Amino acid sequence: MSAPIRNSSDLDRAQAAGEATRHPQRLKVLVGSASCGVAVGAREIESAASSTVQELGLDAVVCRTGCIGFCGREPMLDLVLPGGLRISYGNMTPEKARQLIAGYAKSGDLQPAWALGHFHNEELVSTGEVRTYSEQSVGLKGIPRWSALDFESRQKKVILRNCGLIDPNSLNETIACGTYRGAFRALVQMEPDAVIDAVAESGLRGRGGAAFPTGQKWRLARQAAADRKYVVCNADEGEPGAYMDRTVLESDPHAVLEGMLIGAYAIGATEGFIYVRNEYPLAIEILENAIDEAEKHGLLGENIFGTPWSFHVTVRRGAGAYICGEETALIESLEGHAGEPRNRPPYPVTAGLWGKPTVVNNVKTWASVAPIITRGAAWYAKMGTKRTPGTTIFSLEGCVKNAGLVEVPFGITLRELIYDIGGGIVGDRPLKGLQAGGASRGCIPPSLLDLAIDTEDRDGETIMIGTGGIIALDDRACMVDMARFLVGFFLEESCGKCVPCREGSKQMSHLLGRISEGQGTPADLSLLERLAKTVRSAAFCGMGSMGSNALLTTLTHFREEFETHIRDKKCPAGVCRIGRGR
Amino acid sequence: MTAKQKAAIAPSANGNGDSNGNGNGNGDTKELVGAVLVCGGGIAGIQASLDLSAAGFRVYLVEESPSIGGNMARLDKTFPTGDCATCIISPKLVECVRDYNIDVLTMADVTALDGEAGHFSVKVRKRPRSVKSEKCTGCGDCWTVCPVRNTAESPPPFQPSEPLNESDAIKLRGILARHEGGLGSLMPVLQEIDQAYGYLPKRILEHLAYSWGVKIAEILRVASFYDRFRLEPVGRHVVEVCEGTSCHSRGSRELGERLEKELGIRPGETDKSGRFTLRTVRCLGLCALSPAMKIAGRSFARVNIDRVAEILEQFT
Ligand SMILES: Cc1cc2nc3c(=O)[nH]c(=O)nc-3n(C[C@H](O)[C@H](O)[C@H](O)COP(=O)(O)O)c2cc1C
Ligand code: FES
Repeated sequence: MSAPIRNSSDLDRAQAAGEATRHPQRLKVLVGSASCGVAVGAREIESAASSTVQELGLDAVVCRTGCIGFCGREPMLDLVLPGGLRISYGNMTPEKARQLIAGYAKSGDLQPAWALGHFHNEELVSTGEVRTYSEQSVGLKGIPRWSALDFESRQKKVILRNCGLIDPNSLNETIACGTYRGAFRALVQMEPDAVIDAVAESGLRGRGGAAFPTGQKWRLARQAAADRKYVVCNADEGEPGAYMDRTVLESDPHAVLEGMLIGAYAIGATEGFIYVRNEYPLAIEILENAIDEAEKHGLLGENIFGTPWSFHVTVRRGAGAYICGEETALIESLEGHAGEPRNRPPYPVTAGLWGKPTVVNNVKTWASVAPIITRGAAWYAKMGTKRTPGTTIFSLEGCVKNAGLVEVPFGITLRELIYDIGGGIVGDRPLKGLQAGGASRGCIPPSLLDLAIDTEDRDGETIMIGTGGIIALDDRACMVDMARFLVGFFLEESCGKCVPCREGSKQMSHLLGRISEGQGTPADLSLLERLAKTVRSAAFCGMGSMGSNALLTTLTHFREEFETHIRDKKCPAGVCRIGRGR
Repeated sequence: MTAKQKAAIAPSANGNGDSNGNGNGNGDTKELVGAVLVCGGGIAGIQASLDLSAAGFRVYLVEESPSIGGNMARLDKTFPTGDCATCIISPKLVECVRDYNIDVLTMADVTALDGEAGHFSVKVRKRPRSVKSEKCTGCGDCWTVCPVRNTAESPPPFQPSEPLNESDAIKLRGILARHEGGLGSLMPVLQEIDQAYGYLPKRILEHLAYSWGVKIAEILRVASFYDRFRLEPVGRHVVEVCEGTSCHSRGSRELGERLEKELGIRPGETDKSGRFTLRTVRCLGLCALSPAMKIAGRSFARVNIDRVAEILEQFT
């Protein structure tokens, strides 16, 4: 074990070391190296940057960081100047990277035309400390402040607090941003019940979809008597269009580990599992490395912070089954079975993994915990709405200009998300609808844009966006095609156990296929509706109602378009290939 | 519950030989009246018999085993309502036996079926029961004095179908050494096997089952449940094209079709030279940069469809 961290002066030491690599006394080139960056060429940019530094013999380092959220501008590269000022560049190419570095080395030229913004300050959310950096450096003209960008100004980062600011593979750098201070306070200075009280008072609710109050869940697990208890992190982000959990794991894995450590202490668990989707190899690699590092420094494993407390974490990979995101199916899968949901009750908090009390929380939920401990429940409860305090992450995708991940307080409207933060629709085309909050939510029309986002649907007031993927569809999208696609998704994922879901989805899909091929009849729509309602009420588990919901919502809001397909045998958007086969 | 029973409309079930069937249909009329033979005394057969009897048909219910009831009689609960299975079937069993229109033939096999719809003749062979069923009260005394003893037969212990060759054995041993035995580590072990071979070879799974002392069926159940596990070999490079919502809205269909055209295969297939396997996945987590795909683990986002051929060329 290398230099275990046992007290706050050890944390201070790690913080200083992390600060030194975060803001070195020389030029630092930062490459955004989360999956989205890598998929569009971050590795090539990194090697171009390294070779330029080497060829020119510059006193500079090239480092990796996670994702800052502006995925639509990937590949991104940042320069951190010796004073600590940081400038972000988007849409980079290896050639641009070479030019930028060489230009800066030669004449201090910062290429304002390529820059997205500069960071004149940074708030360390875990501690509340705000650091400002001198903007006196030459050549900043024409480069806006990052915090003033439309994309950034309305955001409030808690879960994503360190994403894109640190090297995810460096324990010291995350500690430099305040990570593990919360765990230290909880384990050393607080009783487990006090930790649960704080989480309950903060009003934190699960971010995995069901929005169950986290404090209450933990208390139930604490009260359950058992010789062993478990905590599980649900990172099986199966919902297509959502990738925030991946980003958190790839950019700040210790935020999740710290949350799990605090939760484990609070409920009395000594073992934890993180169940990660198989499609996220980079997240798994970074997470495993983070666990290794934390164990080496005594932040996980035996006698954490020198207390008698022990906690071990294991990463498990999923194998491509959507249903394994459901917590009881996830537990089945961890136990080595096929991932089929269990009957409830008993709930996992009393009988979960191997029959022991188990707390399953989403990645975002775990990552929200530590700041509640360090900054206090009242600080957290001030954000968001009364029903759902705090922040959550949305991913803006499809036809929005500023595609990426944004973290905002609950209560924000869809319009603010799409038009203010997202910058509107590409090419300023009209917005036709949104596929928001997961496939089961269907497509909603622009008339609902002014509803506040919360964890409950209230007509005319609030709208629930369960899983935060928001896909903007412009006038080139066809809603019949979308409905067919969404129903097809649930048809494919149906386990086939119950007839209504297995056969019903197939028939719905068949009818939709007919309509989109111009073979639909006027009776098909009411048949579809009847079928969907039957499936919804007769299916064994939630999956059955999901496909029907998607269809019914879309059909309710875009009925006219369905009718056009049937009556005129035409797809107004030109997506359905009527008369052109398949 | 699937019903394998079919009701054969048989106006003249002229039981020849051992059968006691005594059709009351007239062989010469084309009218479909008379007796019906139902094969199989499970819940479906029982219900069919009761319904037919209520409709005025004479029914012969033929069942191979000594008693009617079939699988449902062995179940605790039924899907999807979770209702008690016995509570549903027992009244029907009683009703069936009491019904004067239904003749229950247990321990009986249909040995021949002739004729056409409306004019069947069926041969049913009843196996000896060695008990006079009309006198039987079910007291069980005959059981204790019966000279014939059935010994419970257990299947021979499971043996892999072929021994492992040297290199397979080394690989499997290496994988097993890294994990505790038992179902708890089944997923990680399967993932390692998948990594080593690109798929899950049956022979390896058999040896895994053997060395852990678990049923091969249990392992196959898990292996076949998850999308990610393949039981057939794949090409050198697996092409995964995203069919998630975001990618769908940004042209993943065209991307998929272009890939199909370039590779000459459909999703789920491997090309003849074993170079590529094409698959579809639901979301690679690159949704802000759609459409996205992955080839041999390398991700490509914001894919320009016209560059697909060029990208494929990098993988030989
Ligand atoms: C079909 C289905 C799929 C789900 N998928 C996920 C998922 O991908 N990720 C997740 O965190 N929760 C998912 N959930 C919710 C979990 O069952 C569970 O509520 C959640 O992990 C609890 O964590 P939380 O309290 O932090 O929200 C899913 C639920 C259902 C019914
Ligand atoms: S929808 Fe294709 S990567 Fe998410």
